[in-house]
Amino acid sequence: MDFRPTADQAALVTAIDGLSAQFREKPIGFHGFALVSEELEQRLAAAEFFDVATTPGLGPVGAAMAVERLARLPYTAEIALSMLVRPHVLGGAFPRPFALVENGRPGRFVASAKSLLIADGETLAVAPARAAAVEPIDSLYAYPMARLTKKVATKPLPPKQAAEVRTWLRVALAAEAAGLMQAAVDATVAHLCVRKQFGRPLGSFQALRHRMAECAVLTGGVRWLALKAASTADQGDAALAAFHAQDSATRIVYDLHQMLGAMGMTLEHPLHLWTYRLKALLSELGGGGAQAHAVARHCFA
Amino acid sequence: MDFAWDDQQAAFRSTVRDFLDVNLPADWETIAHGPASEAQTKFSQEFCGKLAQVGLLVPHWPERWGGRDADPWTSFILAEEMWAVGEPRGGQYMNVNWIGPTLMKFGSTQQQERFIPPMARGETLWCQGFSEPEAGSDLASLRSRAEKHESTYRINGQKTWTSYAGAADNCFLLARTAPGKNGLSIFLLPMDTPGITVRNIPSLIGDGDIHEVFLDDVEVPETALLGGEGEAWSIVRTALSLERVGIPRFALACRVLDRVVASLRKAEHFSSAACVEAARARAACEVARLYSYQIVDQRRQGTATGPEASAARFATVTCERLVAAFVVEHCPEALAGGDAMLLAHHQRAIVAGIASGAAEIQLNLVATEMLGLPREPR
Repeated sequence: MDFRPTADQAALVTAIDGLSAQFREKPIGFHGFALVSEELEQRLAAAEFFDVATTPGLGPVGAAMAVERLARLPYTAEIALSMLVRPHVLGGAFPRPFALVENGRPGRFVASAKSLLIADGETLAVAPARAAAVEPIDSLYAYPMARLTKKVATKPLPPKQAAEVRTWLRVALAAEAAGLMQAAVDATVAHLCVRKQFGRPLGSFQALRHRMAECAVLTGGVRWLALKAASTADQGDAALAAFHAQDSATRIVYDLHQMLGAMGMTLEHPLHLWTYRLKALLSELGGGGAQAHAVARHCFA
Repeated sequence: MDFAWDDQQAAFRSTVRDFLDVNLPADWETIAHGPASEAQTKFSQEFCGKLAQVGLLVPHWPERWGGRDADPWTSFILAEEMWAVGEPRGGQYMNVNWIGPTLMKFGSTQQQERFIPPMARGETLWCQGFSEPEAGSDLASLRSRAEKHESTYRINGQKTWTSYAGAADNCFLLARTAPGKNGLSIFLLPMDTPGITVRNIPSLIGDGDIHEVFLDDVEVPETALLGGEGEAWSIVRTALSLERVGIPRFALACRVLDRVVASLRKAEHFSSAACVEAARARAACEVARLYSYQIVDQRRQGTATGPEASAARFATVTCERLVAAFVVEHCPEALAGGDAMLLAHHQRAIVAGIASGAAEIQLNLVATEMLGLPREPR
């Protein structure tokens, strides 16, 4: 047991933070949902950060740390699947970016993906995206969303392979959710420290302090579960991490919007960029119910 | 970052499990409820003696006091295994975790030689005289007073909610020697001193657990004072930091949850709704475990523990609450003549958010120290 990042992992986080410094503010004039940065993606690729999971000394835990840090940015790009899932899909043979299409529904980054993971019920398949007919969709989810207009012919992954990919999809979801929650908590804390009502900062009212503290404890819990699952690659740990991420997200999103009041309803404030990404993650991989069944299957003797 | 046990840690855990296999009687689970019941207190006395004989009572203490300077992981693994089976050490876990180490740090030579060896042999039970009728979470408003008369102190006042007081040999007592926050002092008080009356408080948390302690002109020599007058606050802070991680409650909670899920499955009653609730409780157990491990790891590295300790405490309360609720809903017989270990867990779980600092106090600490939110005006 060692809960400290290794020197290499700490250096990775510093490097990621350095690279992402210029992407830390939402442009004042941006009043939309999917704030995507191709430049961020290119810079991550140029620095070979998408290969962190297979880099000796960094590994999947390093990749989960990187995903969590990058998810805190108001800008988004397809990062989590590339960093955490791609190495487990047929030995990393498929090019990034990746997207997941579940049961014919719209998915994140489907229009820009080069490789598609296609889930239908219990089966999981992988396909190059070039053959797919894709239709982008306007959405509130703060990710670029698109759907397939025609079914793609695929061969399902063998069950063992599919289980491994599902495990890493769960780790990726939890690591990304942890970063989104942290950014949303931080933005809300900043608001509660400066916004005054009844002559004092909102953050000094115990009714809000306790709720914020609970959100912070949930967020830290999601982060620990994600890091542990990245470290053990255990199906049960991954199921717990994804379950806790989805289960906590609903409550955190509600509480934080409640605390930001009308300001959180505007597209001027960045809160929605994180909360509507969390809402997108809520239904993925079958949603909380499916994660709960995975927990039951793998965690109870 | 590494979430696996090393060989030495895994071997130590098996040693503890082997010891428990040999030394817990077949009817242990029926004894284990009511952590201060007469049956458990008697059992714990013998059990702790056996632990001491094989070096498993105080391995993390210095060699000078019967330990082997083992690292914080060792004592935490020990605590997990003990708590998971219903804490056969009874109230002696307090000696092991913080009363002994606090005396090592602040006690006089005479106090150390008198009180520490019986703890290391597993022969003595202490209670903690902090809470009063008007001072719970707010310890600074404590009223019991100790007045100095030449070379003795005369103590008057009342303590309440005192665990183990009915069976304890000594009390780690907090009393006022002067007004204000800096007027609090600690006394090491033998419970057979004249003037002490102990009254059991019938409660939901088990037979003989909590008590009122009345102190009427209790006279102790000045050598009963721990540290100096007015030093209680810094001593208690050290004691609390030793106890920061607290009890590994998630260990029993997780075991109880496993047991109930197994029985629901066997009876084919594990519905989808129950499955979601079980997953929620299981995730909460794992979160509490990881937060607690983080604190243990900080102690191993010698880094100061910060507000994460309060987060760990709150996560622990959450896991206890969710598991206890799951059991009552899906295994109601737990409170009606069913599995004794489920009842024992219930009685321990319901006090998790109250004992050693209310859950709301932990949330205040998280809000102020971790998030940097402004304090509430007083």
